[in-house]
Amino acid sequence: MDRRAADRLLLAAARRGGPWVPAMMATSLLLAGVYTVLPALMGRTVDAVLTGGHTVTWLALSIAAIVVLMVCDLLDDLVGKLAEARSTAWLRHTLLLHVLDLGIRATRRFTAGDLVGRLVGNCARTGQVASTLVWAVVDLVPPVGAVVALALIDPWLCLTFLVGLPVVLSLVRTFVRDASDINERYYEAQGRVAARLVDALAGIRTIAAAGTVDREVRRVLGPLPELRRHGAGMWQVLARVSGREALVIPLLEVAVLAVAGLQLAHGRISPGQVLAAGEYVVLATGISSLVSSASRLALARATAGRVAEVLAEPPVAYGGERLPDGPGTLEFRGVTVRGPRGTVLEDLRLTVPGGSLVAVVGRSGSGKSVLAALAGRLTDPDEGEVLLDGVPLRRLGRSVLREAVAYGFERPVLLGETFADAIAFGPRPAGAEEVARQAAAARADTFIRRLPQGYGTRPADAPISGGEAQRVGLARAFVQAGRVLVLDDVAASLDTVTEHHISQVLTGALAGRTRLVVTHRASTAARADRVVWLDGGGVRGQGTHGELWSQPAYRAAFQPDPAGAGPGADPGADAAAAAEGAA
Amino acid sequence: MRALARTPARMLPRRPRVRRDGRGRGVTGPAAGLLRSSLRRRRKEFVRLAGWSLVQAVPAFLSGWVIARAVDDGFLAGRAGTGFAWLGVLAVAVGTGAWATRHATLGLAAVVEPLRDELVTLVTSGTLRRSAGSDRPADTGGVARLTEQVEIAREAYGAVVMFVQSFAASSVGALLGLATLDPALLLFVLPPLLAGLGLFVGALRAMAARQRDVMLADERVAETASEVTGGLRDVVACGGEDVVRERAGQRIDAAARATRALARMTAVRTASLAVGGWLPLVLVLAGAPWLVQRGVTAGAVLGAVTYVSQGLQPALQSLVRGIADSGLWLLVTLGRITGAAGEPPTEPTAGGPPTEPEAGEPEAGGPTASSPPGRPRHSGVELHGVTFRYARSAEPVIDALDLVLRPDEHLAVVGPSGAGKSTFAALVAGVLAPHTGGVRLGGVPVGCLNDGPARHRVLIPQEAYVFAGSLWENLTYLAPGVPAAVVDAAVDEVGARPLVERLGGYDAAVDQQELSAGERQLVSLVRSYLPPAELFLLDEATCHLDPAAEARAEEAFARRPGTLIVCAHRISSALRADRIMVLDGARAALGTHTELMAGSALYRDLVGHWEDGAGTGKPDHTTRKPDHTAGKPGSTAGKPGLTASPTPGRSGSRRSGSVLRSSE
Repeated sequence: MDRRAADRLLLAAARRGGPWVPAMMATSLLLAGVYTVLPALMGRTVDAVLTGGHTVTWLALSIAAIVVLMVCDLLDDLVGKLAEARSTAWLRHTLLLHVLDLGIRATRRFTAGDLVGRLVGNCARTGQVASTLVWAVVDLVPPVGAVVALALIDPWLCLTFLVGLPVVLSLVRTFVRDASDINERYYEAQGRVAARLVDALAGIRTIAAAGTVDREVRRVLGPLPELRRHGAGMWQVLARVSGREALVIPLLEVAVLAVAGLQLAHGRISPGQVLAAGEYVVLATGISSLVSSASRLALARATAGRVAEVLAEPPVAYGGERLPDGPGTLEFRGVTVRGPRGTVLEDLRLTVPGGSLVAVVGRSGSGKSVLAALAGRLTDPDEGEVLLDGVPLRRLGRSVLREAVAYGFERPVLLGETFADAIAFGPRPAGAEEVARQAAAARADTFIRRLPQGYGTRPADAPISGGEAQRVGLARAFVQAGRVLVLDDVAASLDTVTEHHISQVLTGALAGRTRLVVTHRASTAARADRVVWLDGGGVRGQGTHGELWSQPAYRAAFQPDPAGAGPGADPGADAAAAAEGAA
Repeated sequence: MRALARTPARMLPRRPRVRRDGRGRGVTGPAAGLLRSSLRRRRKEFVRLAGWSLVQAVPAFLSGWVIARAVDDGFLAGRAGTGFAWLGVLAVAVGTGAWATRHATLGLAAVVEPLRDELVTLVTSGTLRRSAGSDRPADTGGVARLTEQVEIAREAYGAVVMFVQSFAASSVGALLGLATLDPALLLFVLPPLLAGLGLFVGALRAMAARQRDVMLADERVAETASEVTGGLRDVVACGGEDVVRERAGQRIDAAARATRALARMTAVRTASLAVGGWLPLVLVLAGAPWLVQRGVTAGAVLGAVTYVSQGLQPALQSLVRGIADSGLWLLVTLGRITGAAGEPPTEPTAGGPPTEPEAGEPEAGGPTASSPPGRPRHSGVELHGVTFRYARSAEPVIDALDLVLRPDEHLAVVGPSGAGKSTFAALVAGVLAPHTGGVRLGGVPVGCLNDGPARHRVLIPQEAYVFAGSLWENLTYLAPGVPAAVVDAAVDEVGARPLVERLGGYDAAVDQQELSAGERQLVSLVRSYLPPAELFLLDEATCHLDPAAEARAEEAFARRPGTLIVCAHRISSALRADRIMVLDGARAALGTHTELMAGSALYRDLVGHWEDGAGTGKPDHTTRKPDHTAGKPGSTAGKPGLTASPTPGRSGSRRSGSVLRSSE
């Protein structure tokens, strides 16, 4: 982690809190100061009352202090929160924008869940930086002040306290050690219940048909007694700790009071000072917050570091050029792409003629998806250049590029509030009619219309199968299709009849566009104008399916992958899908 | 002052959502009910907890008074020994209090832990019942997150009870102590304390609403964030950066607005602390001269200040902060749990459709059927005018379907994916109830079969269910207590012997992660072969087996007495059947292979494309290769799913692969 970047980000976030930050510093300092002097003032007041001194003065001072305290406390919370809201919003906007600018590069370095964590939790934590910083420092004032005050009242009081304090600190440590082990076992048992429940839900159709729901409930709840046992263990630990906590601090106070009483009897201190001593002991025990202040600061730095880490990644830069009229010819000039496990494509030279249907085949890991990602600049080559109608993709403006190249994926992520939104998602505006037409072309129309609210159904409310999601994603690609359409294994979960109908759309309504189709299916390859056969990091062969079929190695490229995941894998594997697009 | 932990910035689970319309009541209603019933059932535990709390309050009660005695009778009177003795009394009281604190915490456990058990049970039975009644895939991730919610609810409930209990104990102790010193002191303390509490309680509802807004807003940020990051590739590929940025940006701003609104409400909370906690101190100090004139001693004044500043004030502070944080977490998580996992409104085992019933008389399937329960008289199946849709406004999946199957007939159902084959199977099995029309098995409506439909028909879905247990338990799931010889016969019939041997016999523990998809289906097939049923429904139950293994399993079921319906994954399944039904959208065509080849364009399409699914031109040489080794009837050698596949899910990718060429 780059500490300096983290610190810079922390400062920037704190500055974004605006005028609330200095306001909070002021209230916090005042608050801490008043907290520290209040016991002394109260002691003086009591002494004045008892001895008939300047009662009114001391009383007025005490009351004024308490009023300041009330007002500051109120303002401090308010102002701190306001600053936090501003800082957090700024961090989130900044990070979100940057993640979008990074594009797929972001998912190559960070998983999707990780990024969500950074955007939500870490930004919120880092957004609290101003208050964390201020309070971490200011919270030390009352305890330190209290120790000093004890010493000022009487050195023996201070000594008594300082000897007793280690007991308190060691107590906190016992708590941490005791609890972690038993907590782990508790959460283990809890995880077993959850795992059994998830298993049963995966087999719910069997269970529903067999009418064995009750039996399954009992099975899932099998680990419940164990959970109860470990839960009881957790409470035992907690009970021990809270019992000790209830013992130590008050005993420390009693000890100090005893010494104070002795000094009172000898006339060395006044009754008011005895009162103040009692109050200061309680304040001074806050000295243990030294540890938590330090850890809070470290935490703020660590979370800021996680945000800064993403911000340090360089974003994708787009050019500003427009695209000349053209058929959509794609040219790969000496393209090399390196992955984490070696070179994926090496010095690839390939021209995809405009308006043709080109199938890309090859064994798993041969770089088919990378080739597809290169065609629309979802990823950049490490060396070489990809050109569309003669213009390097890097030089194109973002919207020009997106309007020219549309994508369909094996595991699309549907974005949008409703299915209609999800299909129309993209730069090209589409009406309801267009959406329904392309959904019909992608064979998604029938199942969408059967959903509770048809096209108005929220995708989140209607879990759909992998094949269904694939068809919706395809409809989206059809709506957005520009001069180039890239389909990355979109038919993997489709039955052959559906796939055939979609092939007809590709060769019919979409003819004339450049169609780059990554496929595992021989039938799809057979319908293509040309097949590009990838193997060993480059193009091993080109030609029609018929021409290539005579080679056994080519035929072997259509064999099922030994480790391939089944079709229709869970749609929740967004991260994996996104990573796949890039890798 | 702020030693209390501020609310942790939890990563909020994404689903299930809090219903957005029902602000407050809709969510907290059932949650409050749950809490009330839990309170009512555990009165005894609460009484015990209250008892310990009172003992716990002893030091709070004694502290000021003992200090007053120690100062007045001891140290100020020059009798240090007496002073120490009084402080010794306080030390003993502290010890007693600590001992009681320990027991009060255990008492708290007795109140909190049963709630956790209730919630876990509710989540389990609620989600299973609810999912069993719907035929869409369950949101397993959301359900898994529910168990986290249970944990949050448990912690929050414990915290709330603890805060209330400790506030009650310390304030009662301190007030009693003040009254002992001088009843007049109560005049200075009680009114502002009550006013502060009143202010807090009055603002509680609004505060809870603001806090809930913050949580919802944060949750929405998390939701968009995961949508954006999970779909980053798609966002970029569709050029949707600006759309997404704007949508997410709005939510980020909304979250900031919610935080600011909450901050203003928090000011009210701090104000109630000022009134209830600090004002009494001001009043006691201001009234001190008058108290001294009335003859209150120096010690008594010290004691009074101690009671207020060390007893009442911290107790009020933890109550106010604790309730505002934990109380809300409690209500929100409980609302979420009851909303997502609460018992479904319809009668669960009948598996009512996920919508309200439509007009029209469902003749069978539902509990409303008029016929008395009965035994099926034969294994024939009849469907009359069966219509099913997911919602009133949606298009029907099955529309006015009539079908009569002779006893022991073998029907194959074919059609493109999404044509409604699984829905058809679920309707025939009585798992789903049709909106109109009825299904009869052996002349009896499936909803009225005696002892429930599960005894008379077996539905084998595509997703084979294998649970953690022994292989024997898994195989005899539907026929407990069946003799080993019968199981042996079924294993041989279905073709699962190599699997049983590979796993090491019936007693071997099975873990579904270690079985391939095909192996799981074999377990499911043997299991379904065992019970003596009239009707067997295979809903793509063999899709992960290779064609030879599939043929063997299907033939085993065809030889077995009872009617067989196979929702076909490959066309070869159709060719083995007596008759074939082609489903397409809501329409259906029925006939033999020859009849359908002549009369159904879709069927011709299906047969054609199924056959060339693996390579046009010269497909046969390579793609049929695996079949030659396994193609001999009765041979199980070379099944990729069984012998040579340590990787689960391997057979899944075979879906578009090899196909048995049938009659040509």
